Amino acid sequence: MQTMVEARNLRKTYKRADGSTIEAVKGVDLDILQGEIFSLLGPNGAGKTTTISMISGLVAPTEGDAEIGGYSITRQPMEAKRLMGFVPQEIALYPELSARQNLSFFGRMYGLGGKSLSRRVDELLEFVDLADRQSDRIDTFSGGMKRRVNLAAGLLNSPPLIYMDEPTVGIDPQSRRRILDTVKMLRDEQDMTVLYTTHLMEEAQELSNRVGIMDHGEIIAMGTQAELTQQVGEEDRLEIMTGAQNVGEALIGSMQQEIAGVTRVLFNPPEQIGDNGSESTPARLTVFAKRGRTALPQIIQTLDAAGIDIQSVEVREPDLEAVFLALTGRALRD
Amino acid sequence: MRKILAVTAKEIYIVFRDRNLILLMFATPLVLSTIIGMAFGGIGESEVPDFAEIPVAVVNHDEGVDLQEIINLPEQFANLDALPFNLEDFGFPPNQSAVGPNPLLQDGSELNFGDILSGILLSQPITSTSTIGGAGFDVAQFECSLLDPSGEAGAANFAAEGSLDDLLDATAVQDPEQARAAVDSGEFAAAVIIPAGFSRRMVPQFAFDEGGKLYTKPADETGAVEVYANSGRPISSRILHSIVAGVVYQFERVNVALSATLETSVNTLLDSLAGGDIDLSAVDLPATAAALQGLDATALEPLGCLIAPGANNTTVAQQPLDASQEAPPFARIIVPIGAAQAVFFALFTGVFGINSIYEERKNWTLQRLIVSPTPRSYLLAGKLLGNVTVVFLQILILMAALTLIASVVLGAPTFIWGTNITALLAVTAALALCVSGLGVFVVGLAKTPEQVQLFGPMINISLAVLGGAFGFALPEQAARFSLIYWGVDAFVDLSLSQPDVSLNILVLFCQGIALFLLGTWLFKRRIDL
Repeated sequence: MQTMVEARNLRKTYKRADGSTIEAVKGVDLDILQGEIFSLLGPNGAGKTTTISMISGLVAPTEGDAEIGGYSITRQPMEAKRLMGFVPQEIALYPELSARQNLSFFGRMYGLGGKSLSRRVDELLEFVDLADRQSDRIDTFSGGMKRRVNLAAGLLNSPPLIYMDEPTVGIDPQSRRRILDTVKMLRDEQDMTVLYTTHLMEEAQELSNRVGIMDHGEIIAMGTQAELTQQVGEEDRLEIMTGAQNVGEALIGSMQQEIAGVTRVLFNPPEQIGDNGSESTPARLTVFAKRGRTALPQIIQTLDAAGIDIQSVEVREPDLEAVFLALTGRALRD
Repeated sequence: MRKILAVTAKEIYIVFRDRNLILLMFATPLVLSTIIGMAFGGIGESEVPDFAEIPVAVVNHDEGVDLQEIINLPEQFANLDALPFNLEDFGFPPNQSAVGPNPLLQDGSELNFGDILSGILLSQPITSTSTIGGAGFDVAQFECSLLDPSGEAGAANFAAEGSLDDLLDATAVQDPEQARAAVDSGEFAAAVIIPAGFSRRMVPQFAFDEGGKLYTKPADETGAVEVYANSGRPISSRILHSIVAGVVYQFERVNVALSATLETSVNTLLDSLAGGDIDLSAVDLPATAAALQGLDATALEPLGCLIAPGANNTTVAQQPLDASQEAPPFARIIVPIGAAQAVFFALFTGVFGINSIYEERKNWTLQRLIVSPTPRSYLLAGKLLGNVTVVFLQILILMAALTLIASVVLGAPTFIWGTNITALLAVTAALALCVSGLGVFVVGLAKTPEQVQLFGPMINISLAVLGGAFGFALPEQAARFSLIYWGVDAFVDLSLSQPDVSLNILVLFCQGIALFLLGTWLFKRRIDL
């Protein structure tokens, strides 16, 4: 399969007001193949948006380069940009203009005009199911409708590659489902390559052919879901909420040694929240175990014997969340 | 280019779709201008504009000159003995008393330029007996050959035809100190004080030098006309000064011509006598004198130009006033005030129009445009062109609306901005460029959009104060630092049918380009565009 995006050693450094520097992206290498959905998964602030901004030509890299369909984004930006569409996280539309006016304006920026532009706008309004609202101003639309127009604006030039930066943020489940289905349809029916960023593990799992996991400006793991979950083995993950109690090192050590199948135990202590720290979140014990359901009774028994108050237990099979947790020691939503 | 125009069209469309912005851009300046225009200019059309009926005091103490005294050669010419021949040889008596009255002049013939000047200012026919008169005719009846004989000739008619009657409200005053005090108190805009020796100063004084050559003596130090002006009414004073200077220059021109002619003629005659080329004994002096006495008024008609108002350059000074005199007070107030308000509010459009780039960046529409295959310079050019066009349209629409308001208030269609449409468009375009350039500069100067919200109004209000947009004028030297001054000055000139606004256009254009370039440089440091 042909490579659509090839990024090498992408690095972005910003200067702070006090003169010090912060490295937002630390030498990212990336290959995205034609016709695949590639997701960049990571928590907020991991560097996903900065990476996608450099690859799309929005931000100049401090170091490194990316090629889009063989064109360098730093040396041949216009050629590279003709091959891509862009769907930002924000609703990048003019609220004073109608859906049709917005699409027509952005279409002109891609060199479209006349009847071909009008036809393309018609197609996209049908595609996002908003033909009947095409003359209404954007500021009269619901959040989900705005997201759909935002997506349509990224498809105006029928690009072989489209960037989508967290396109489902802040919308209702129904609209989210519609957008996810649209993304899959673009790949399956139009052979479009999609670079998708998200901090939602479920979206990455549902959509992606391959996933790159980012944290602190680096890609810490990359591959298909199967390849990534293999990194944490065939272990189940047991999430146990334990109230506001601490689980000591001794108890964790004994669980790892004495309970069959348990390979690793992580403990996140309770956090004080609210005014003056008057409330606290429950502590969370994460237990990695082969055949987790078999080990579960003994785990509960051990905690009960130690006087730990168990509030809930969840058994999860290997997933990207587990991969992230295994690699960083933190949950994606932390 | 199509992409630039697409951005420009989008900018214009968005501005004119925003009702609040429309209210700020158009309704506010229109309301303010109309209120100020009505407050200071009245509602109805006035027959008597402010620049008419300038109150003037005229003090005439001119004693005139006795023409007999001037012609009295031995008295006047101290070096007559230096002539290379003896006058007695040619039949002239040996002393003054023997000369007797000049046969050309009646007894008591006198030349009084003060009477002529005060007559012009007071719009009175020159009927004074002391005015120059010849044998059997009155100079007041002379016609000036420089004027169209169809209707403007005739000194006696000048009061009716001369526009000074409408322009000046002149009053004869006897005491110079009283006149000055009245000017100080504001009763008069200015006083014209004609001293006793005015005519003596004007009439050329001849003498023979030691070599026996005729020459014109320097004018007396005293005797100059004084225009005492009220500093609070500089325009009226300047108008009056122009009129007085024009009349006096006219006298001087005639006198310079007379003295040059006389010097040349007399010296040539004397040279010929000395050289024996002329035999004066053969001339029949009594017969010549009699012939001269028989001259009629037509022979001396050119003198009519001396006092005919149409032949002096006072009319040149009046011409610019004609347009303003035709305009009623409301129209004359609404032009500078309306133009100033239009430019003042356009400044806000300029600054906040450019500041919308920050808004676009916040909304990510700017990023979406940058990711498209459109050079960033196109985006900036489109944005700026849009801003310039919006400001241009704003000023034009405001001018059209003010014209409409003036027409409604005055009860008749009144195009208050003059008829030079090309110049009006050129001034408006230069202003739009300058206003947008200032917008780029202010936005480039500020570090954040919030600072633009602070700096923008501060700079705009400062320029408005400097440029006189709030109804009070600062010294012109200070006002020249404001683009509002240059714009308003040009609009006022055009409304008065004064077409030369090229300096204003040049200043606005250069200022706009300089601000634009400086602002773009600053702006590119602030935002990655």
